[in-house]
Amino acid sequence: MLKHFHSLPKFFLCLIWIAASVLVFDLRFQVAAAVLAFALLWLGEGVRLWKMIVLTVPFALFGFGFLTTSVLFSAESGYALQMAGEQSMRRPDFSPGLVLFARTLACGLLSALFALTTDPGHFVRALMVHLRLPPSVGYALMQAMHLVPDLGREMQSLRMARAIRRGRALRRLPGPGEVAALTIPLLAFAIRRAGRAALAMEARGLQAGRPRSHLRDVAMTRGDAAGFAAGLALLAALLWAL
Amino acid sequence: MLHTPEAIACDAVAVRYPYAPRPAVGPLSLQVRRGERVLLLGPSGCGKSSLLHTLTGLIPRSIAAERDGQIRLFGHPAEARSPAQWADRVALLFQDVEQTLAGLTVEDEIAFALENCNIPAGAIEESVVRAMDLAGLPPEWRMRRIATLSGGQKQIVALAAVLAQDVDAVIADEPTASLAPKAARLMADRLLARGRTTLIVDHRLGPILDRIDRVIVLGAGGQLLAEGAPDSVFAEFGAALIAEGIWTPLAVRVREALARQGVKIPPVTQVKDLLACLPPETDLKPLLLPQPVPLGPERVRLEHVACAPPFGPVVVEDVSFSLRGGEVLGIIGPNGAGKSTLAACLAGLVPPRKGRRHGAPGAIAFQNAEAHFSADTVRAELAAVGLPAAAVAAVLEEWGLGKVAEQHPFTLSMGQKRRLALALLTATKRWPLLVLDEPTAGLDFKGTEIAAAHIRRLAGTGRAIAVITHDADFALSVCDRIAVLAPGRLAAIGPASDVLRNRVLLEAQDLAPPEAAGLLEWVEQRC
Repeated sequence: MLKHFHSLPKFFLCLIWIAASVLVFDLRFQVAAAVLAFALLWLGEGVRLWKMIVLTVPFALFGFGFLTTSVLFSAESGYALQMAGEQSMRRPDFSPGLVLFARTLACGLLSALFALTTDPGHFVRALMVHLRLPPSVGYALMQAMHLVPDLGREMQSLRMARAIRRGRALRRLPGPGEVAALTIPLLAFAIRRAGRAALAMEARGLQAGRPRSHLRDVAMTRGDAAGFAAGLALLAALLWAL
Repeated sequence: MLHTPEAIACDAVAVRYPYAPRPAVGPLSLQVRRGERVLLLGPSGCGKSSLLHTLTGLIPRSIAAERDGQIRLFGHPAEARSPAQWADRVALLFQDVEQTLAGLTVEDEIAFALENCNIPAGAIEESVVRAMDLAGLPPEWRMRRIATLSGGQKQIVALAAVLAQDVDAVIADEPTASLAPKAARLMADRLLARGRTTLIVDHRLGPILDRIDRVIVLGAGGQLLAEGAPDSVFAEFGAALIAEGIWTPLAVRVREALARQGVKIPPVTQVKDLLACLPPETDLKPLLLPQPVPLGPERVRLEHVACAPPFGPVVVEDVSFSLRGGEVLGIIGPNGAGKSTLAACLAGLVPPRKGRRHGAPGAIAFQNAEAHFSADTVRAELAAVGLPAAAVAAVLEEWGLGKVAEQHPFTLSMGQKRRLALALLTATKRWPLLVLDEPTAGLDFKGTEIAAAHIRRLAGTGRAIAVITHDADFALSVCDRIAVLAPGRLAAIGPASDVLRNRVLLEAQDLAPPEAAGLLEWVEQRC
């Protein structure tokens, strides 16, 4: 369902919810936002549970840092927690560390909601068409998306060549030393590839300042406007209920 | 054609890169007339790609180099417009398509140049549909992500993008280099359609030669060596072209090889014409097939293995075969069939998901030879393997790298890089099994001949060798056995001269028999 929602209103809706999550220092709101995003992804979009849990881990670890800091080092972190706790719509009956932990989860899941339900090409096109993002920047973003799998393949070749050179089996994951040794060759690959892509795009007519048409106008529909309004209404209702 | 207006005209054009002692190409004068299909030939490093980049002004505008002389496109000086502005009249198909795609989906990619030319959406829509149809792309691929396509499929998408532009002239740099035969024929059919102005650089002559109106040959120094209709150039300059290391048709190569043995053949350029002129007692086998090497012990055996890239899905299943020392196995198959994944599994670098692999680990010589390099000079690379100085000097001479010993490995030519990678893998006796991934991609005739000679020499030292290639003639000349991969499975394995002449088997996998198949049949009819 959310995959068919226009990427721009969805982007701004997610931003508004994240902003609310940052401003509202209330555990119930953070939990509600996190649960809503989780449910939309799991039940609404059919994202597998294991994927959701894996996705939540980095945010949970980050948030856990706030939690442990507030519990174990309450004296040292008292000022920061006090500042956080003095934000608007504060509910003092919960531990500030717990609220910060839930806030991290909520922000992470709201970001994941956008990332997992949005076609990046559609989003970049929408930025170019509706928000006048320069095409040179838009296609540079698309190149960066092309680069990620290419870098992965190049890294695999480099790792295999390194394993052959050292006469060792290929480890499933690279160690810190190997990562450091691969950094410069991968950087060189990325720079060389970016140069070639820029050259090809110029030869195919991409030039800053030239008027440009679009095959798809990625227009917004009434349904997109209604979805945006519904998202805002839900946020307002939640805040009012709290 | 003589009175047809010029599409591309170069007058004393030379390109010099910063700090280079001499021009990379030129001074050179040439013309391409409207509707003419011209093949630009030359040995590796003679500046063909530099010349193509100069035509619409990428050199010197976007690539740091100096250009001398005058270039006119459709009667206008090239510098009168920017390279981007020329996109409405000239389309460029780049050598390394994988690194030059712009869009995220097939549709994005095909529409990209048209959008840049500010063409209305309705007209772009029609062009995209027409170009996909011409390039043989199924309509359901339209929204497919480019990242999910194989290298060959990406190249066909790039062809569709060029066809969609529907411009006055097309410039293509090695468009068939990494394509399976059927895709290469499609590429040639579309790019070299009658009436289309095309300037093409390609080493693979088979799919394109009968569609070419004129050949322009550059020598090693980037200057004009020969020019004219293909038949007359190859008939008159065949020996000179071979001496320069430039690809010529198989009939020309065989004719010149027989001439060196004292067998005089008229200047034919087609295999069928050669067959009509061959003396019955001619022994062609040594020219077409490898010299057999005594087979050693089994080096590797795969038993019902399923191969998958790390973290990826299984791409080839139920593969079983063994490889003995002294044996060269060719692995052929359509683009995306899983040849490289099988190679990693065969070498023992990636464990099979199912089944078993028996034998000592092997090494892979990657298509991108730069992956093997880690030192500042060619000599230091070899020293890092653990060789003493005297042994390093011997290896350098053995692989023809003595003159470039103090150069950085990244500055070598493609052929030299591949030789250095092989030298590194064979400098010690650590690897009894070698897997070579497309060892001839992008190489000129001389480079390919040297690669073939080294492969047979290494087989003679008792190593087992597997060669992944798209070039059926190269496979026939170096391989004892051939494994044909179909998407997801091993379709056949057997003696090279049998498998490579099995048209039904090959065509089922979009492959084609080698050009030399006709000659081999002639030999067997005589026996």
